[in-house]
Amino acid sequence: MEAAGPYDRAKALSAFKLGDATFYWITRISAISVLLILGGIILSLIVGAWPAMKEYGLAFLWTQRWAPSADPPVLGALGPIYGTLITSVIAMLIAIPVGIGIAIFLTELCPQWARRPIGIAVELLAGIPSIIYGMWGFFVLGPFLANTFQPFMIRIFDGVPVLGAVFAGPPSYLSLFNAALILAIMVLPFITAISVDVFKTVPPVLKEAAYGMGCTTWEVVKNVVIPYTRVGVIGGIMLALGRALGETMAVTFIIGNSFRISSSIFAPGTTISAAIASEFAESDGLHQSGLILLGLLLFVLTFFVLAAARLMLMRLETKAGK
Amino acid sequence: MTELSVSTVASHVPQVPLPEAPPKVTARNLNFYYGEHHALKNINLTLGTNRVTAFIGPSGCGKSTLLRIFNRMYDLYPGQRAVGQLMLDQTNILDPRLDLNLLRARVGMVFQKPTPFPMTIYENIAFGIRLYEKISKSEMDDRVEKALRGGALWNEVKDKLNASGLSLSGGQQQRLCIARTVAVRPEVILFDEPCSALDPISTAKVEELIQELSEDYTIAIVTHNMQQAARVSDKTAFMYLGELIEFDDTNKIFTSPSDRRTQDYITGRFG
Repeated sequence: MEAAGPYDRAKALSAFKLGDATFYWITRISAISVLLILGGIILSLIVGAWPAMKEYGLAFLWTQRWAPSADPPVLGALGPIYGTLITSVIAMLIAIPVGIGIAIFLTELCPQWARRPIGIAVELLAGIPSIIYGMWGFFVLGPFLANTFQPFMIRIFDGVPVLGAVFAGPPSYLSLFNAALILAIMVLPFITAISVDVFKTVPPVLKEAAYGMGCTTWEVVKNVVIPYTRVGVIGGIMLALGRALGETMAVTFIIGNSFRISSSIFAPGTTISAAIASEFAESDGLHQSGLILLGLLLFVLTFFVLAAARLMLMRLETKAGK
Repeated sequence: MTELSVSTVASHVPQVPLPEAPPKVTARNLNFYYGEHHALKNINLTLGTNRVTAFIGPSGCGKSTLLRIFNRMYDLYPGQRAVGQLMLDQTNILDPRLDLNLLRARVGMVFQKPTPFPMTIYENIAFGIRLYEKISKSEMDDRVEKALRGGALWNEVKDKLNASGLSLSGGQQQRLCIARTVAVRPEVILFDEPCSALDPISTAKVEELIQELSEDYTIAIVTHNMQQAARVSDKTAFMYLGELIEFDDTNKIFTSPSDRRTQDYITGRFG
């Protein structure tokens, strides 16, 4: 057969050039668009929040009073900031040990036949829409906690310094603690799913080496599995924390939307996102600007939390001698 | 041709066989199953106290499987089981009620790939000691130094004990693993192809180390490298398709094996 003419390599390559350039620009534009969107959101938040920033200045951060219908409106973010931090901290205190515990059970201890059902159940937990958690929290969990767990804790810690104030009555269907518990259940799957995935990356021979030294399962997990997967596990925790800080719907249902700060975690409170969700539709003027400023604060708060997590990771790595 | 390769292999072997040592580990009619698969068939052998026993044979012949019975490593995996008798001194290794953590303190293992734990060099050693003993910081320092000297690693790492174990080279990591195993003062050390991931110089160091260790420990080593078996071991076991074909003084195995298959294997006709 006759060849179709001399093979021109340069020509063949130039045919690819257009494709390469297009590919390069598509990926580049995609990457740049992320920056543009992020910048645009920050910018519009700042523009929207500007009147409130001008009016209240830094005092916005430590003013507790929230009276949008006063004349002029008095707005302070301390209540929502406090509520956001407290609910997230409590949620993480519950979700981290339980979530990692489930992951350890699933990867190290669980009999083979039970792994899939439990794993799927955990994943389904992640798929439940937050509004359903909210309803469940409102109609089931809230009354249950107010009738059983809360009175129990209040009785136990009655008169104990500090803790007596943290677990003070009266029991309430709507409280910081209820919201934190719902948050813990919501973020649990993140921690578990990511921990399971990274635990599976531990080379079997490394675990065998630890077992070969005579380690128990607990010692293997504590000294080999978790140190080996530290970065991934912390990544999962941060993802969960990010969700806990910003979660809106379920929290709005059950936190009680009170801007007053109480020492008790069984008292109603509010979070930044709950405050925005419950008031934004009926707001205008300075009130609306104040809510946007709250949103900006949440943005900054999340940013600092993630930055702190990075810093912690870096310090852990120096400590491990890498 | 055949004569030549046999004599090359045997050139390092001491010509006078060592006296018979008291038994440390004794296997009688030992069988092993991976689920339905019958992987080891009626193994009978004895590891002599403070002797080096090498296990050779083609891939898949069951050498590593046998080694993993000595410390019940197979127990980690469902469906694997051993039948028969296997004694470590007076202890029945296969006893289901046996405390595995204590067994593994007595029978240490070094793996094919270096497996330093994700912690500092110091901690890699101290970790194992801490599992069994509560000792002061200064005692621990001594023990760590002794173990690292025992692993022929001290001079290379004494200035960076707080560096990660993962920062060492492959050969150093393997010696760290040996030091770590020695640190808990086992009675038996199992080596599962300890040099297969190492360069020739590191291999020589590890082999030298194994010979030194045999003064204090009973050693079993699985190797694909027949010269290595000839160099380091007192006794050699040749395994083939899950059976123990021949078990004798290393010298004898490499110069005048009594089984045809052993001879074929060591002269490189198969495997």
